[in-house]
Amino acid sequence: MSGIYIHIPFCKQACSYCDFYFLTRDKLRQPFVEALLSEINSYGDTKFSKEIVRTIYLGGGTPSLLNNKQLESIFGALHSVFDIDAEEITMELNPDDVTRDYLSMIQDLGVNRASMGVQSFDKKLLEFMHRAHNPEEAFSALEALQKTGFPTFTADLIYGNPGQSVETLEQDIDKLLSFDPPHISAYSLTVEPKTRLGKQVELGRIDPPDDDRVSEQFDVVRTQLAAAGIEQYEVSNFSKPGKEAVHNSNYWKHENYIGFGPSAHSFWWDESGANRWQNEANLKKYLNEAPEDYREEEETLSKNTLAEERLMLGLRTKWGVSEIDLKQSYGYSFTDSQWQWIEDQVEKGFMVTENSTLKMTSDGLKISDHLIVELLS
Amino acid sequence: MKNIRNFCIIAHIDHGKSTLADRLLERTGTISEREMQEQVLDDMDLERERGITIKSHAIRMDYNRPNGEVVTFNLIDTPGHVDFSYEVSRALKACEGALLVVDAAQGIEAQTISNLYQAIDQELEIIPVLNKIDLPGADPDGVGQQIVDLIGGTKEEILQVSGKTGEGVEDLLEAIVERIPSPKQEVDKPLKALIFDSIFNSYRGSICYVRVMEGVLKKGDGITFMATKKEYDAEEIGYLKLKKEKTDQLEAGEVGYVIGSVKSLQDAKVGDTITSTKNKADTPIPGYKEVKPMVFSGIFPTNSEDFEDLRGALEKLQLNDASLSYQPETSKALGFGFRAGFLGLLHMEIIQERLDREFDMDIITTVPNVRYEIDLEDGERIKVDNPSEMPEVGKIADVWEPYIKASILTPADYIGPIMTLCEERRGKYVNQHFMQNNRVEITYELPMAEVVFDFYDRLKSGTRGYASLDYEFLEYRKGDLVRLDILLNGDQVDALSSITHRDKAYYLGRKICGKLKELIPRQQFEVAVQAAIGSRVIARDTIRALKKDVTAKCYGGDISRKRKLIEKQKEGKKRMKQVGSVEIPQEAFLAVLSMDEED
Ligand SMILES: Nc1nc2c(ncn2[C@@H]2O[C@H](COP(=O)(O)OP(=O)(O)O)[C@@H](O)[C@H]2O)c(=O)[nH]1
Ligand code: SF4
Ligand SMILES: [Mg+2]
Repeated sequence: MSGIYIHIPFCKQACSYCDFYFLTRDKLRQPFVEALLSEINSYGDTKFSKEIVRTIYLGGGTPSLLNNKQLESIFGALHSVFDIDAEEITMELNPDDVTRDYLSMIQDLGVNRASMGVQSFDKKLLEFMHRAHNPEEAFSALEALQKTGFPTFTADLIYGNPGQSVETLEQDIDKLLSFDPPHISAYSLTVEPKTRLGKQVELGRIDPPDDDRVSEQFDVVRTQLAAAGIEQYEVSNFSKPGKEAVHNSNYWKHENYIGFGPSAHSFWWDESGANRWQNEANLKKYLNEAPEDYREEEETLSKNTLAEERLMLGLRTKWGVSEIDLKQSYGYSFTDSQWQWIEDQVEKGFMVTENSTLKMTSDGLKISDHLIVELLS
Repeated sequence: MKNIRNFCIIAHIDHGKSTLADRLLERTGTISEREMQEQVLDDMDLERERGITIKSHAIRMDYNRPNGEVVTFNLIDTPGHVDFSYEVSRALKACEGALLVVDAAQGIEAQTISNLYQAIDQELEIIPVLNKIDLPGADPDGVGQQIVDLIGGTKEEILQVSGKTGEGVEDLLEAIVERIPSPKQEVDKPLKALIFDSIFNSYRGSICYVRVMEGVLKKGDGITFMATKKEYDAEEIGYLKLKKEKTDQLEAGEVGYVIGSVKSLQDAKVGDTITSTKNKADTPIPGYKEVKPMVFSGIFPTNSEDFEDLRGALEKLQLNDASLSYQPETSKALGFGFRAGFLGLLHMEIIQERLDREFDMDIITTVPNVRYEIDLEDGERIKVDNPSEMPEVGKIADVWEPYIKASILTPADYIGPIMTLCEERRGKYVNQHFMQNNRVEITYELPMAEVVFDFYDRLKSGTRGYASLDYEFLEYRKGDLVRLDILLNGDQVDALSSITHRDKAYYLGRKICGKLKELIPRQQFEVAVQAAIGSRVIARDTIRALKKDVTAKCYGGDISRKRKLIEKQKEGKKRMKQVGSVEIPQEAFLAVLSMDEED
């Protein structure tokens, strides 16, 4: 089984914190869709099209900038090349694009999970993030989801913003909870160097909140959502039981996936080995050149590297990583000094071991980057 | 009688010594224009780049006088820096005359004066030369008067040249012949040859640069080094032209080289006398001494796996630089490394830079310090050149530290800032002496420890680069000195201990704690950063426990990015140094070790 990711590299405007690959020019949308179709078709009759596709994820950028015809042609191509038996088809939507008609349209195309880029309901914060939508649009988009009876959905929140208080965060969470979301992704703001935010921080114009405050907000998110029956299952992901994101979880479990569109990443692991590759983040190339020319960085992963990845990703989840899985799938086992270190962390309350499975505690999760580096060093 | 002139050039950095030497080489036809590469004598990359001479060199020229006579010149180039004043004294010893080259726009500098006095003490004939007279800012009259004030004579005796245009160089060549005496040529006496420098060649062993003072050095003769008592054969001897030129003998008065399978520079020391094994001289040439290191610092490989490479590199450097000393040292914080002794700060910098450039070594060096002498309560006196060796407070009766006499030459406008700096550094004012051209010579007695740490940079920055410094060792004096320790969660970071004056310990302690707090990343637990004298804590800071360190997003399918980040952090961790349970990144060490008074 495998998953498909499609990167739609267009946005109305650039959010200040965002370092995903996208362009704001709208003229190139149709040419892009055509290039995408040919990339999809290039996978026809390859080993990659033989596995049953269980998840599809349209991300970006802003997939909701595409119209009915464009989306139809994309799904058409996917179905003609791949054997699709999808349990989850997710599409990222920006609130300002969402109408009830649009939602019915994508539902007709098979999308059964909407990912709404809410980020906040606070006018000032949305402006600070340079988002294209305002609080009213966020409300009406979520209302539309309820009214159309969309099968399931998730909404994004961003916390740890400069100047953001615990109170505004709590309000944001309350507002979101009033729509009874089955799933929430709550990200703490990351300052990436090549973004507008990054520049401003570098110039000293903006002071990101210190770690202690972000840590406090992390706790607020976790406890408030838990009280509503929405449990943390990964650092930034929360859901009602059984509503975890399938596609994203598969990344963490080393399921195969093919990424389409500029900057999309792919992973494939079969008898002949495990590989990662990616499309160049360059729309011009994507439009004008053949797939083999914009595909780059084929990287072959050793079992050991895969095991380290598994730890790096799995320890961010509530399931943790089981020793047996490490041994059987990756031929990896912890050394004595690693065990010693783990025991030390267990004692300090940052990790737990249960049924030969290693997990982070909630304190450990907050510093999991640090712990993972330590564990692997 | 051979017609020989042996001379050196005394000049401050940048006053045009190398350029003028190039002109002499050109005009005597020693070097064709085609071979001409600027600053021929400075042959180390480092020398060329920094415009300084580190090793002494010598070059032989044949000068055809306008009257048809041919005279052999030996120009002995000497290092200009105070760190190498012993080498300079030996090079002067090999000469009968010196060109005192002064930039006509800049005037005389401190270093020039001290080397000049050495030359006068050794009874060298001084030819004063005003250089760079082509410069619009040249002030031959004023600077000329400075020279007259210093060495007497008249302004008319001062030559005016431009190394750049070549103006006046002919007159200079003639003046060298006419004013500098030909060396005594006592060929009948037993051999005495002065080693004024030696270099090491991995195939040939030590190559000694010598001036034969008496007797004759013949190829194949047995030779004895009088100080080290080592015996060898003079396998090859020759002149030092642009390349080495073999010959059969060097007579009294001549300058050249000798090679004798001398395995180590330690056997062929600068200042030693070579004599003939068969017919030994009674006494060596006076003035030989063992050079003593003045400044000490720990050198540690950044990556502990590189320890053996570092040892190899230091061994090789020492082959070529007998004044470098080192011995293994172990630091709890920095691991295995060496404690090295240097002639001075420049020498230390040069060694550090050569380790980096010639050996590609990544190193951490500890704050330089001087050698203290400590009287213990039980009456014993010990020498300490490593703060970690300082005994406990209770065992110490008195601490003695080296003092220097510093003379600073400056335009009078900067007297204020210079005095402030010297007072801050516990200096004792001696006097000031006004000279021509609005210049002043200020003399202070200063603890050497205060000078090795960021003094020169401060002096330069406080005077826009105009002041120059020269110093000589004075004596050991008692001081209220304490060892300042830095502790992380109670564990001492030995590499950060320093010996400092009690009055400064508080300020320094606070500063180091602050810096460490800034640079040590948060750990999983709270870390106390303390500065202490003995068991008394005098400054304290806290690094709070790590609260959050987690990437929000795993970037869709972009797992490689995250993995590479982890790889990088793993690399970084390897370079961390561990003290107790606290991990300290390299940068924190470097920042504290390179911290100067201001930041
Ligand atoms: N205008 C002028 N510049 C000179 C003269 N002699 C040397 N220089 C310049 O002064 C600087 C220092 O010269 P250099 O020979 O390296 O000085 P050193 O440090 O004494 O060896 C260089 O930039 C030279 O080009 C001169 O006679 N006239
Ligand atoms: S809409 Fe999404 S992809 Fe586009 S700029 Fe904003 S955050 Fe980035
Ligand atoms: Mg020079």
